[in-house]
Amino acid sequence: MKLQVAADWVEAPLKAFVDDARAEIAVLMHPTGQVLGQFGFTRSVDVQTACALGAAIYASAGELGRQMQGRPFGVMHYAGKDKQVFLAPVAITGGTLLLLSVFGEESSLGLVQLYFQDFQRAVAQAAPPWQGAESALASDFEAELNRNLAAMFGRG
Amino acid sequence: MSSPYGGMLAGLIRHRGVKGCLVVGERDGLIVDSTVQFGVNAQTFAALTASLFRKARRAAQAAGFGDATFVQLEAERGRVCAVGRGDLVLVVVAEPRVNLGLVRVDMLKAAERLS
Repeated sequence: MKLQVAADWVEAPLKAFVDDARAEIAVLMHPTGQVLGQFGFTRSVDVQTACALGAAIYASAGELGRQMQGRPFGVMHYAGKDKQVFLAPVAITGGTLLLLSVFGEESSLGLVQLYFQDFQRAVAQAAPPWQGAESALASDFEAELNRNLAAMFGRG
Repeated sequence: MSSPYGGMLAGLIRHRGVKGCLVVGERDGLIVDSTVQFGVNAQTFAALTASLFRKARRAAQAAGFGDATFVQLEAERGRVCAVGRGDLVLVVVAEPRVNLGLVRVDMLKAAERLS
């Protein structure tokens, strides 16, 4: 399975996380759903769907947290029968990214949490400052999304 | 909040040379209860040890040896011992001078109370 990135700085931290945590799927994205890098998917449409759902879940959980405890919930973990999902915010200068990861029997929540800490540190060092809300509301959101997907999957 | 494993862990930590004992979920690698007197991140240690035990158990099964009952790791400056039952793993961290035979017997007895 190949790691695909839309920005060079994503590659090393994402590869280390996938290797160490034995993740089956890992997607780094903006909270808007813009993909920055992924491992585990073979079709761009699947990445697009995962990013849209991940961003929506994070937004919903954030709002739920704000209503219940005055601040957004952070990490979300769902344990299914065979696969588990881990969705967590990654702080970078001036903003936040999201990591969506799926893992199975080869890993565990403890391992994923452990290597997520390393991932957070590596991304915080490598990521350029976040562009702010303008990126989330930009009129060229779709073009940007398509450009990132094309960079990873080789289609325009 | 107290757990049902507090007494078990208190008994194990009293052994000379034992630096910590933990009950850890085998599948998730998370700490259920612990008593540690050593300077490492217990959560990190628990996650890695649970993973190690799970793999040892699977290796034993793959080799046709049945279930792994007792796993021991010897390092330069200490030992890590683990026994499992069901979804839980009892882990002991000890100095090299520990009376391993005695600890092993107590761990196997304690493991019967894991559920």
